[in-house]
Amino acid sequence: MSATVNTLVNQPYKYGFITDIEADTIPRGLSEDVVRLISAKKNEPEFMLEFRLKAYRQWLKMTEPTWPNVQYPKIDYQNIIYYSAPKQQKAKLNSLDEVDPTLLETFEKLGISLSEQKRLSNVAVDAIFDSVSVATTFKEKLAKDGVIFCSISEALQEHPELVQKYLGSVVPVADNYFAALNAAVFSDGSFVYIPKNTKCPMELSTYFRINSGDTGQFERTLIVAEAGSSVSYLEGCTAPMYDTNQLHAAVVELVALDNAEIKYSTVQNWYAGDENGKGGIYNFVTKRGLCQGVNSKISWTQVETGSAITWKYPSCVLIGDNSVGEFYSVALTNHKQQADTGTKMVHVGKNTRSTIISKGISAGGSSNSYRGLVKVNPKAVGARNYSQCDSMLIGDNAHANTFPYIQVQNNTAQVEHEASTSKIGVDQLFYFSQRGISAEDAISMMISGFCKDVFNQLPMEFAVEADRLLSLKLEGSVG
Amino acid sequence: MSRQSSTAIPNSDETVGLTSVLVRDAYLTELLKQCQGLIQVIEPEVAWMQEIRDRAAAWVRQSTIPTTRDEEWRFTDLSPLRQIAFQVETQSITSLLDITPLTLPEAANSRLVFINGVYAPDLSAVVDLPDSVVVSNLTGLPLEYRSRVRDYLAQQQGTQEVFTALNTAGITDMAVVWIPKNLVVETPIHLLFISTASGTPIISQPRCLVVAESGSSVTLIEEYTHRRDVAEAAVYFTNAVTEIWVEENAQVNHTRIERESGTAFHIGKSVIAQARDSRYTCNAITLGAKLSRHNLEVFQTGEQTETTLNGLTMIALQQLADTHSAIALNHPYGTSNQLHKCIVADRAHAVFNGKVFVPKAAQLTNAGQLNRNLLLSPKARVDTKPQLEITADNVKCAHGATVSQLDDEEVFYLQSRGLDEDNARKLLINAFAAEIINQLPLVSLRERLSTAVSKQYSALSLKR
Repeated sequence: MSATVNTLVNQPYKYGFITDIEADTIPRGLSEDVVRLISAKKNEPEFMLEFRLKAYRQWLKMTEPTWPNVQYPKIDYQNIIYYSAPKQQKAKLNSLDEVDPTLLETFEKLGISLSEQKRLSNVAVDAIFDSVSVATTFKEKLAKDGVIFCSISEALQEHPELVQKYLGSVVPVADNYFAALNAAVFSDGSFVYIPKNTKCPMELSTYFRINSGDTGQFERTLIVAEAGSSVSYLEGCTAPMYDTNQLHAAVVELVALDNAEIKYSTVQNWYAGDENGKGGIYNFVTKRGLCQGVNSKISWTQVETGSAITWKYPSCVLIGDNSVGEFYSVALTNHKQQADTGTKMVHVGKNTRSTIISKGISAGGSSNSYRGLVKVNPKAVGARNYSQCDSMLIGDNAHANTFPYIQVQNNTAQVEHEASTSKIGVDQLFYFSQRGISAEDAISMMISGFCKDVFNQLPMEFAVEADRLLSLKLEGSVG
Repeated sequence: MSRQSSTAIPNSDETVGLTSVLVRDAYLTELLKQCQGLIQVIEPEVAWMQEIRDRAAAWVRQSTIPTTRDEEWRFTDLSPLRQIAFQVETQSITSLLDITPLTLPEAANSRLVFINGVYAPDLSAVVDLPDSVVVSNLTGLPLEYRSRVRDYLAQQQGTQEVFTALNTAGITDMAVVWIPKNLVVETPIHLLFISTASGTPIISQPRCLVVAESGSSVTLIEEYTHRRDVAEAAVYFTNAVTEIWVEENAQVNHTRIERESGTAFHIGKSVIAQARDSRYTCNAITLGAKLSRHNLEVFQTGEQTETTLNGLTMIALQQLADTHSAIALNHPYGTSNQLHKCIVADRAHAVFNGKVFVPKAAQLTNAGQLNRNLLLSPKARVDTKPQLEITADNVKCAHGATVSQLDDEEVFYLQSRGLDEDNARKLLINAFAAEIINQLPLVSLRERLSTAVSKQYSALSLKR
């Protein structure tokens, strides 16, 4: 049976192609001049340059964290290109038709159609290629409802006051090593603003594509949901196959005011390196949501299948009374992938609630760690948390670890944590084969059953996609 | 979250350089000097001990007292300890002491008593045991055993750690329990460590070595307590280390009770090596000390072992109690079961960190771990981290943790049966503790601890 499993697992990465496009790239290395250069290239307002310089100076004083349960050679930060953008003839595009057809083709190939006419699904997309946003669809339609959805560089030109107010308010510039690096050099990202009492009429989505081989991608996403509004947002990521490792250090900030609701879903499929662990993306990401208002809600759903190393903890800071934080995650690692991921739920306000459902699947020689923090502050009366993290091991070279931190300083809190580890049993497979179902199908069925709690949280189209992605990734790995 | 803790537990046998020039931690060096001051004459039979001490001392000199920046001590701040200059006790006051309230009727004649870390022969009594059983301090040890101790003392694998090394560096005496092959010892053995500090702050470093040879069985009560007839004002520091070897098919039931005075510091380590088919049970009860830490490490050295760890921490006022346990299942077919409970009142702070390692070799392992915490007052605090590290795929591992207060519905239920609220709450607390207390092997101990629970929380107004 292990032979079947092995052939199944070794599915090639189908997004690994490289787009040959002329790019505007700055020299390798990082210095104050580079930070200034990036800021100047993007024609940013003065406060942004200060923000970046402050972050850069803080970053110089910080050291790279060593506590995650991952191993990688030291990153040479002077050997990374911090800005790379596809060259465009004109400074500002009037319509999508002016976008370089090679780019459109690239996204087409990735299954993301940027030509709105052809789109059937009700999803607005912001496509980011290396360091810059290429196009944002459905902008006009969204604008009718007052929703702002654009790249963050555009937002800096058109709505600087909003950006200034919220940028860095959730993840301070010196929050951690990689967040500080991001704050100094981030090139683009998405900006979403949902006005009061507005339900965003369509799903918003950002698609990230790393193309260049030596570029680090540092994007920054900021979503602000005003009182009474709601939005569902999805990000997807792919990268070509290179032998070298590329650094991706993103920051995502969410702000939910009174009664607002933000749902943030991620399907992460960066190139994970080959079966010997060569190449792949280092995905060192800081994601945090602030439930600032009463009854606000932030929900993170993530499907992590790619990246050589994943290091991310989408968190919720529950400040508003009765606010709700949710975290649903499926993390799949295969070959030599390493993932140290989980969440942080910080309860500050009264009667705040949080739910954590984490499913880890580790196959091959990979390592998959859940690391979570549930913290109940002294004033969080009536806080409630339920955490469940299940691991599934496929093959006996895979690692599954759990490091849940539970810190409670209020006696009215109720915190529950459960974790289990299991495997796909021979008897289960036998049961399926009795009913005429092949081992492969049985495994993919069991995996999707294992992950059902999480997939149910994804927007419909993506749930199907995630399910397929997972079974593809695992093909041949069970035995 | 140091990288060390996330991989395998490093082996203590690493050779340590004996030369160290730099003094890294002046406070620690002074402690070491104090502890080594007790070492007197080296008897020829135990000359090898000096080597062990030197090796540990060299390690201590290169170390520092951990701070909250160390992952393993993140929630336990040792800075209050550093403010006190501890000294070793040089005089013995043994015979003046009435220890009747501290003894156990079941183990009246199978008892070793140490006062401030010094063996008290006139308070100890070892008559009820079969002749072949050795229960003695180091100097009283039969000659043939002295050389055998060498194969076991400080030979346990386990995390190298500054306090353990400090203890080893200052070994002068120890309690030795040696059960020969295939002998089942019915009478429980009581190792009683009493602190009598008054005035000068004292450091004592108790040490136990337990060897249960193959096929034997023993019940062991290890107790750290203080003199009850003086006011609880004296500050002292107990740094205890216990090594237990459970050989093939042997069985050890180990109860460890820590009831130090409310101003004391207690840092203890229990390391257990379990050979194939052995069974080990630990009941760790923590009631006392201003700051206490128990490091419990179990290493499986053969297949098919059974490990049961029960823990109960009951603290109030400003106490801090920290339990760090690690179970390394390195062979197939092992079973481990852990239940650790904490009852935290007032401004007390309980810490629990339970690690379970299941590497690739440990197929068909079954490991369970549950940590339950009861918070009785608004300022009580709990930090818990149950941690699983698994590489084998054909295993069943689960862990859980809960933190809550008493359930209002349960209280209401009891009230509807005619109990007043205060009594209803006390009954529920007692029941919470009873799950562990009932596991204790001796009736007298169970009674004593149940009383302690009621006493601990009677002062507390439990009404909300």
